[in-house]
Amino acid sequence: MPPLSILLWLPFVCGLLGALASAVLARGGRTNAEASAGDASAASGRGAWGAPGVVALVGSLVALGLAIAYIADYKSGGAALQHVTDTVWISTLGIHYKLAVTGLNVFLLGLTTLLFAVATLAANLRSWERPRLFYFHFMLAESAVLGAFLAQDLALFVSFFDLMLIPFYFLIGGWGREPGRIKATIKLVIYTLVGSLLMLAAAIATGVLASQQGGGHITFVLSALHALPLSSGSQEWIFLFFAAAFLVKMPAFPLHGWMPDGYRAMPIEVLMVFSGVLSKVGAYGFLAIVLPLFPQAAVHFQTLMLLIALASILYGSAQAFSQTDARLIAGYSSVAQLGFITLGIFSLNSQGAQGALLQMVNHGLVVAPLLFIVGLLAKRTGGSEDVRQMGGLAFRAPVLASLFLVVALATLAIPGSSNFVGEFLILLGVFKAKLAIAIIAFSGVVLASVYALRLFIRAMHNRVGPSADSHEISILDGAVLAPLIAVIVFLALYPQLALHRSERSVKAAVASVQASTVPAQTVARVISGPRVVHRSATFADSVRTP
Amino acid sequence: MSIAWYLAVSAIVFSLGAIGVMTRRNPLVVLLCLELMLNGANLALIAFSRMWGNGDGQILAIVVMTVAACEVCIGLGMIVAIYRRHLPIDVDELRELQG
Amino acid sequence: MIPLATAHLKGPHIDFAGLSPLIALLGGSVLVLIVGLLGSRWIRAQAVPSLSLGALGAALGLTIWQWNAQKSIVSGALRIDDLALVLNLVLIAGAACTVLLAWRSLAAREAAHGEFHALLLSSVAGMSLLAAAQNTVALFVGLELLSIPLYVLCATELKREHSLESGLKYLIVGSVGSATLLYGLAMIYGATGTTDFAGIASALSNGSLATDPLTLTGVALCVAGLCFKSSIAPFHQWTPDVYEGAPTPVTAFMAVTTKVAAFGVFLRFFDVALIDTQVSWGPALAVLATITILVGNVGALGQSSLKRMLAYSSVAQAGYMLAGVVVSTQLGVRATVFYLAAYLFMNMAAFAVIVARERQTDLGDSIGALAGLGRERPLLAWPMTISMLALAGIPATAGFMGKFYLIDAAVSGGYTWLGVAIVVGSMISLGYYLPVIAAMWMREAPAATSPNDASVLAPTPGPLPALAGGSSELDEDGGPLSGSQPEVLVVAVLAGAATIFFGVIPQPLFDLVHGAGSGLGLF
Repeated sequence: MPPLSILLWLPFVCGLLGALASAVLARGGRTNAEASAGDASAASGRGAWGAPGVVALVGSLVALGLAIAYIADYKSGGAALQHVTDTVWISTLGIHYKLAVTGLNVFLLGLTTLLFAVATLAANLRSWERPRLFYFHFMLAESAVLGAFLAQDLALFVSFFDLMLIPFYFLIGGWGREPGRIKATIKLVIYTLVGSLLMLAAAIATGVLASQQGGGHITFVLSALHALPLSSGSQEWIFLFFAAAFLVKMPAFPLHGWMPDGYRAMPIEVLMVFSGVLSKVGAYGFLAIVLPLFPQAAVHFQTLMLLIALASILYGSAQAFSQTDARLIAGYSSVAQLGFITLGIFSLNSQGAQGALLQMVNHGLVVAPLLFIVGLLAKRTGGSEDVRQMGGLAFRAPVLASLFLVVALATLAIPGSSNFVGEFLILLGVFKAKLAIAIIAFSGVVLASVYALRLFIRAMHNRVGPSADSHEISILDGAVLAPLIAVIVFLALYPQLALHRSERSVKAAVASVQASTVPAQTVARVISGPRVVHRSATFADSVRTP
Repeated sequence: MSIAWYLAVSAIVFSLGAIGVMTRRNPLVVLLCLELMLNGANLALIAFSRMWGNGDGQILAIVVMTVAACEVCIGLGMIVAIYRRHLPIDVDELRELQG
Repeated sequence: MIPLATAHLKGPHIDFAGLSPLIALLGGSVLVLIVGLLGSRWIRAQAVPSLSLGALGAALGLTIWQWNAQKSIVSGALRIDDLALVLNLVLIAGAACTVLLAWRSLAAREAAHGEFHALLLSSVAGMSLLAAAQNTVALFVGLELLSIPLYVLCATELKREHSLESGLKYLIVGSVGSATLLYGLAMIYGATGTTDFAGIASALSNGSLATDPLTLTGVALCVAGLCFKSSIAPFHQWTPDVYEGAPTPVTAFMAVTTKVAAFGVFLRFFDVALIDTQVSWGPALAVLATITILVGNVGALGQSSLKRMLAYSSVAQAGYMLAGVVVSTQLGVRATVFYLAAYLFMNMAAFAVIVARERQTDLGDSIGALAGLGRERPLLAWPMTISMLALAGIPATAGFMGKFYLIDAAVSGGYTWLGVAIVVGSMISLGYYLPVIAAMWMREAPAATSPNDASVLAPTPGPLPALAGGSSELDEDGGPLSGSQPEVLVVAVLAGAATIFFGVIPQPLFDLVHGAGSGLGLF
C-alpha cells in the first residue's frame, strides 16, 4: 500500500496543479488580454468541464480508489494502528506527523473520499465563476478533512480541524447564495472556530500537563498521551473545551445557531460534503480522542452529554417536521441524526459506540444524496427549495422518484437498512446505560419517519406545485447519485463489513472509559478475562443476522 | 538630612509634571511639564547617587539632561511646524484623530 | 620624567566586534544623511534607500558573524548573546522591509530622503541597543535613541495635518512613558545602589529588599513606563491615533520593531534584573496581559480604517506576547521571541498591501480599498489573506505556531488561564480579521470612488509656507503614486510566503530562538 501521505495530500496537490495549470494555459492562450474578465470568459468558453474541475475530479477519484484499497486491506484482527506514518514534525513542541488507519477512521476515510468525489463530479456539471479558486479550496478542504481523520497526534488533529474550516469559509463566502452570504459565512466560521480555538487551548494543556505528570518531554502523540492520564480535575475542564468544539461542529442543539444560515447560503455541492463529512469529524473526535484521553470526565459528564444528544434529537426532529425549506429539513434532520450518534457514543459501551460509528457513515451516505436531490428538485421548481412549491415531481420522473425513495427510506432507518442497524445498536447501548433516555430517544426514530416521508411525499407526490416542471433525471446527475445509492444498498445488505472491521478499535476506545468506571481491582479481570471475548462474539453474531 | 526629604521633593516635582501633562492644554506647557517629570527623576537619581556614594546615578542624570534637550527640540520643532500649518495650538483641538 | 608624547595611556578595551552591528547602523545613518545632501534627484531618491539597505545588510552580516557570542561589552552595559542577536535579526528585517515600503513614499520625499533614512537607521540602532542593554543607563539611552527619531518619522508627511498631529501626540505620550520609566529606574537604583542588571538581581535576591515599598514602587513605575512604549492596556490609548496618523511605512516600522525592542527590554529587565520580585509583578503583568488582549481585540472590532484596526490588533498581540514574559521561564522567552519573529512577517505582509493600495486607490487605508482585490490583484490579496489568517491564529501559518508556543509556555508556567485568555482573544479577533478577507474575496470592487473620498486625502491646495525640516523637494509632485511598485509587492509576497513557510516548517525558527532562552539564566 502507498503511504497515507499520498492519500492525504493528493487532493490538495490536484487542486493546486489544476489551478496552476489552467492559469498557465489561460495566460498562454489569451490573445485579447482582458485581465479582469479573463477567468469568467475562460470558464464559460470551455463550458463546465474546465481543466481545474477535471484535475480535481481525477484527484478525488484516485483518493477514493486509495481509500477503498485501505478498507479492503484493513486487518480486523486487532485495534492496532495500521499503515502508520510517523515522523517528527516539530521536535521542540513534541508534535509528530503521525498518520494511521484505525478501525475508527477507515470507513470515514471511505465516506470522505466518496462524498468528495461525488460532489466534485456534481460541481463539474455546473460552471463556476473563478473555477481555479473554487476547486483549489474544494480540494484543500478534502485534504484537511482527511488529515483530521488520519491524524494520530493531538496537535496535528487540532491543526487539521481548524484548517478544515478555512476553505469552507472561502467556498461559502465566494460562491454562496445571496442573500446573507457573507453574514452567514462569518457567523458559521466564528461559531465553529470559537469551539476549535477552545479546543486548541485544551489540547495544548493536555500535552503540557501530561508531560508534567509523566516527567518527560512534551508530546502530543495520542498513544503516548493515552499512557499518561490526567488528573480528573484537569480532565473535566479540558473535556468541556473539546466538547464545545465537537458539538458546534456537529451541530448539537444549543450550539447549532450557525446551521440554518449556513445551510441556506452554501452551494449545494459544498453543502453535500459539509453536511456529510464535517459533522462527522466532531463525532469522530469524541470517539477517537475524548473517550480514550479523558475517560473520567466522559463518565462524569455522561448524563449532560446524553441530555444534549436527546435535546438535539427532539429539537432537530421537531424542526425538520415543521420547516418548509427542503435544505433546512435536511439540516435539522442532521441535527437529530447527530444527536443519535452522540447518544451512542456517550452510552459509553461498545454497542452504542459501534452503532454511532456505523451511523456516522450511514448519515453521510444519506444526507449527501438527499441534498443533491433537493438541488435537483429546485431546478424543477424554478429555483425554489420550498417544499410548498414542489409537489407532483414524480409524475414524469420515476427513476428520480425511486432514487429519492431509497434515500428517504434509509433516512428514516427502515428495518433492513444499515441505518436501522446503526440506530438499533445505539438504542441498545443506551438502554444498557440509561433506560429513561433510551425510551425518550426512541420517539426520535418515529419522528424521523414522519419528516422523511413528509419531505418525500410533499415533493414527489401531492398536487403539482405552481411552477413545478417534472422531468427525468439526467444521466450525469444520475451518475452523481448512483454510487451513493449503491453504497447505501450495499451497506444495507452487508453492514457487518463496517461493524466487523471497527469492532476492536471501538472496544479499545471505550475500554478506557469502562476501566475508569469499574473499581480498580476488577478492571484487569474484566479487560483480559474470557467473559468479555465471549460476549463480543455473541454480539457480533447477533448483528450478522439483520 | 534624611533621604526622604529629597525623595519627597522629587516626587512632588514629578507629580506636578504628570498632573500638568494631563491637565494643561497648551503643548508648550505640556513640554515644560514633561521637563518637570524628567527633572523630578533626576533629583531622585542624584540624591540616591549621593546616598550610595557611587556615580552611577549621576551619569544617568547627565544622560537624561541630554535626552531631555533632544526631546524639547523635537517637540518645539513640531509645534512650530503645526503653527505654520495654521493648526490650533491647543491639544484639545487636535481633533483630527479622534481618540 | 617621561615626555607626555610617549606616555602610555591604558585605554579601555573596546570590543569592536561586538559593537560592529551598531557601528554599521550608526555609520550608515551618517552616510545617508550626507549623501542625501547631494543635488541629483536620482541620487536622493534611489541611492539613499539603496545605501540604507546596504547599511542594514552590513549590520545583518555582522550580526550573523557574531553568532553564538556570549559576552558583555562596554563595561557590562551591553550583552551580546543569542537573545540580542535574534532580536537584531528581526529588527533589521523589519527595517529593511520599511525601507522598501518607503522607497516611493510621500513621507520620504517630503522629509528629504537623507533625513528620513538617517532617522530610520538611528532608530534601529536604538532598538538594537535596547535589545542588548544590561544596565539601566544603556536601557534609557537605547529607549530614547529609538523613540526620538520615531517621533520625527511620524511627522514626516509634513503637508498632512494628521501626520504632524500624530508625531506630537506620540512625542507627548512617549515622553511621559520615558519619564515614568526613568523614575522607576531611579527608585530601583535607590533600592539597590546599582544600575547593572546583574547587580540589581543579586541585590534583590538578598534579604527583604524584594518586598521593599521603594523597590515595588520602582517596579510598578517601570511596568507602566514600558507599557506605554509597547502599547499595553491601559496605556495604549495613543496607539490607534498615532498608527493612523503616521505615514504607513512608518506605521509598519513602529508596529513591528518597537514591539521587538520593547519586549527585548521586558525579557531582559524583568526576567533577569527583577526576577526575584517576580511574585509581585508576575500576577500584575498577567492581569495586564488579559486586559490588553480583551481591550485590543474588542477595540479592533468594527474599525473601518485598516491602520486603526491593525493598531488595536497590535495591542492585542502585545497582550499575547506579554504572556511569555509573565511566566519567566526559558520556554516563555523562546515563545515570546518566536512570536515576535512571526509577528514581523504577518504585519509586514499586511502593511505592504495597505501601502500598495494607498497608492493605487484614493480610498486610503479604508477597508473599502481592498474590495474586489482577490479578482483584480491576487498577488496582493493572497499576502493580505495569509496575514489576516495568521494574525487570527489559523493553522499552517506562523501565527498559529506562535500562539501554540505561547499557550504551551503559559500552561507550563502555571498560567493556564492566561492560555485560555489568549484563545478567547483569538476568537474575538476573528470578528475583525475575517471581514477583511471577505472584502477582498467576496465583494466586488467599487465602480468609481466618490470625489468626497478623494478630497480628504489630497494635499490641501494653495502655497505652503516653509516648514521646519521641510526640504527643497516639496515642489515635486505630491499626488498619489500610480504605476508599478515592485518593491512593495516583493515585501508583501515574501512576508506572506514566510508566514506560510514557518507555519508549515517552523523547526528552523524554533532552532533560531532556542538559544535566546538559554542566555538569561532562567529555568
